[in-house]
Amino acid sequence: MSLLKIENLSLSIYGTPILKGVSLSIEAGQIVGIIGESGSGKSMTALSVMQLLPEGSTATGRVCLSGNEMLELPEARLCGLRGDEVGMVFQEPMTALNPIQPIGAQVAETILIHQNVSRAEAMKRAREALNRCELPEDKFPMSRYPHELSGGQRQRVVIAMAIALQPKLLIADEPTTALDVTTQAEVLALLKRLTREDGMGLMLITHDLAVVADMADEIVIMRHGEVVESGPCPELFDTMQHPYSLALLKASDHQPEREEHSGTAPLLSVQNVVRDYALPREKLFAGQQYFRAVKGVSFDIRRGESLGLVGESGCGKSTLTRAILGLEQVQSGSIMLDGEPVFAGKKPNRDVRRKMQVVFQDPYGSFNPRWKVSRLVAEPFHLLDDAPVGRAREAAIAEALESVGLSAGDADKYVHEFSGGQRQRIAIARALIIKPELIILDEAVSALDVSIRAQIIDLLADLGTQLGLTYLFISHDLSVVRNVTDRCLVMQHGEIVEEGVTADVFERPQHAYTKQLIAAVPTLPTQEEPA
Amino acid sequence: MNRALIIGAVLSGAFALAALISFVWVPYDVTGVDIANRLKAPSLGHLFGTDHFGRDIFSMIMVGARTSIAVAVVAVGIGMLIGIPLGLAAAARKGSLLDELIMRGNDLVFAFPSLLIAIMITAVFGASAVNAIVAIGIFNIPVFARLVRGAALSLWTKDYVLAARVSGKGAARISFEHILPNVTNLLIVQGTIQFSLGILAEAGLSYVGLGAQPPTPSWGRMLAESQTMFSFAPHLAIFPGLAILLTVLGLNLMGDGLRDVLDPRLRRARR
Repeated sequence: MSLLKIENLSLSIYGTPILKGVSLSIEAGQIVGIIGESGSGKSMTALSVMQLLPEGSTATGRVCLSGNEMLELPEARLCGLRGDEVGMVFQEPMTALNPIQPIGAQVAETILIHQNVSRAEAMKRAREALNRCELPEDKFPMSRYPHELSGGQRQRVVIAMAIALQPKLLIADEPTTALDVTTQAEVLALLKRLTREDGMGLMLITHDLAVVADMADEIVIMRHGEVVESGPCPELFDTMQHPYSLALLKASDHQPEREEHSGTAPLLSVQNVVRDYALPREKLFAGQQYFRAVKGVSFDIRRGESLGLVGESGCGKSTLTRAILGLEQVQSGSIMLDGEPVFAGKKPNRDVRRKMQVVFQDPYGSFNPRWKVSRLVAEPFHLLDDAPVGRAREAAIAEALESVGLSAGDADKYVHEFSGGQRQRIAIARALIIKPELIILDEAVSALDVSIRAQIIDLLADLGTQLGLTYLFISHDLSVVRNVTDRCLVMQHGEIVEEGVTADVFERPQHAYTKQLIAAVPTLPTQEEPA
Repeated sequence: MNRALIIGAVLSGAFALAALISFVWVPYDVTGVDIANRLKAPSLGHLFGTDHFGRDIFSMIMVGARTSIAVAVVAVGIGMLIGIPLGLAAAARKGSLLDELIMRGNDLVFAFPSLLIAIMITAVFGASAVNAIVAIGIFNIPVFARLVRGAALSLWTKDYVLAARVSGKGAARISFEHILPNVTNLLIVQGTIQFSLGILAEAGLSYVGLGAQPPTPSWGRMLAESQTMFSFAPHLAIFPGLAILLTVLGLNLMGDGLRDVLDPRLRRARR
């Protein structure tokens, strides 16, 4: 008998259908990857198993977890099963832990709720769970608080909480999406090891095909609340039939059509840039301490090329971006755009700023929710001394919107009427409106679904060719950088450790850190090109 | 629709309407003395009865609403006009000397009990409605400054603010174009609550004789004058007391309701 059997599960929230006839099963010791883009119903499927559905939900069908009919049990019985029979790991390790409780107590809490054991016994078993999640006692005593741990370490604590009672089923909802590539690889290996050791079933939910390709036994692909295709992994990658699965597979390693650039004239030149941040004073009369976020970085961006900047969180890439944009002054070194300094005297240089714009990661936080699109897109006009007014302004807004594939009529809408991908197009329109030469893409496609990401990458490649734009492409996502850049830089601890033509860097990495990064990237099984 | 908001709006609206009508019509003149009709219990002729000078209490409450509302409106206005720019400036220059000056100045005002300062101001400048307004207004400044600074600090970390900075906009411009429109919800809600506190404060000051001076009717002074006669003419105290209670209740309900309606996060949670 299967550990978890979902049969013909349908779910609607206040009458809106969310899931339509979902069926899947998980055996003990099996890893099942559920893949889908946002809105595909993958998280709702997981929440149906836990019966933690939002208000107004009505579910029909069958969810059977080791003999328990989850849809029929009363709440009290469900509480007994949650945490004991089935554990859950969430996406965001920053918010999944209680910030004012030490990690030991949080792990022990699950044990105390479900089993009649003494506090000391529960703490002992919490310690074991933490040890199993590779948080050894000498380095990570139970008295540590969540804020003292990194994202990956916190995610391990969350996993320890979920497996403390050795549940039969573990549900992991995008457990590595918020983590860096190297941390992601470690956490995935940990999940795989725990599943094998305990003979537990693992439901691994993700939007990234490559993540599951490496470790899942079975793959279920979902779209619009339905299962479009499922089968054993990795065989499924060869036998995929459904057009959506194929499109998803294609989009996850999308290569835009673009011309290689190998010009030599530098557009932006960064020389020995150093950026220090003052740390808070620990003692009243202690000298001021500084943290050096960027340690003497030098590089050039050549006119018309697309340069990638790769590094994990905390490596200083955001600080460098802010310095290039002239938002923060650097302590030493120079940043010159087209031969002119970005910072002239104490003030950012307006003439230089006009030549560069930026697109940020979060399509939801990038716009003032109270402004209309026309006003949002036109904001960079502030940099022009002779900004167009009236008819000319409207024409410029319409042109910018049309160039990114939106319509001129969208100017009158508010930003909440658009989807994530459309918002990112608006952000690009905002960057294009003053016809800059350099566009900095700060993780600009990282928050998007794979199919939308492929569209935006194509759009950027098209615009780059048409308008002769230069891109600085900052990302932690190596596969995207590999496909869209001419040259790339690898940054670690505030220094650039490797620089070169993208294909060379990826195929023959020199620096140990680059090798480690590239090895950590989850890969899809290689497939034959369809004839 | 939100029930608290409706009840609150109806209650506060009724008093605002009474205040407006009192400019053109009141049942009886509130300055005239009619000794023959003194201390009459509520009747059809005098709905709420009459006081020790024979003045109609219903009419006095209508005119008193005028005083209360005027004091509260101006006091909240002073608090907003000075407090909001201070809060925006402190957030824009977070951690700077300016921020420290503004916030420590706020702490200084917060450190004194409001009634004490009001007594001090009226002791120096004389007891009048205007001085009461100024005293209450000063106490609204730090409330708004703190509220705006706190909300603005989180807004300053948004990407759209960064985008505006990339577009070369200065701190003042960003504060008014991006920050202020996104804190208006909070300001409206806090405004209604400060408004009700203003009415209470005015009643309190008038009660101790530091607010509006006779013969201008005021709810607080009506209560003060009624206390010696409470045993044989309780209606003198009950009606102005009820007027204060209902207005403050109405405004607080309205503030709560507005917060629920205007805050998109709460709206989503309830749906």
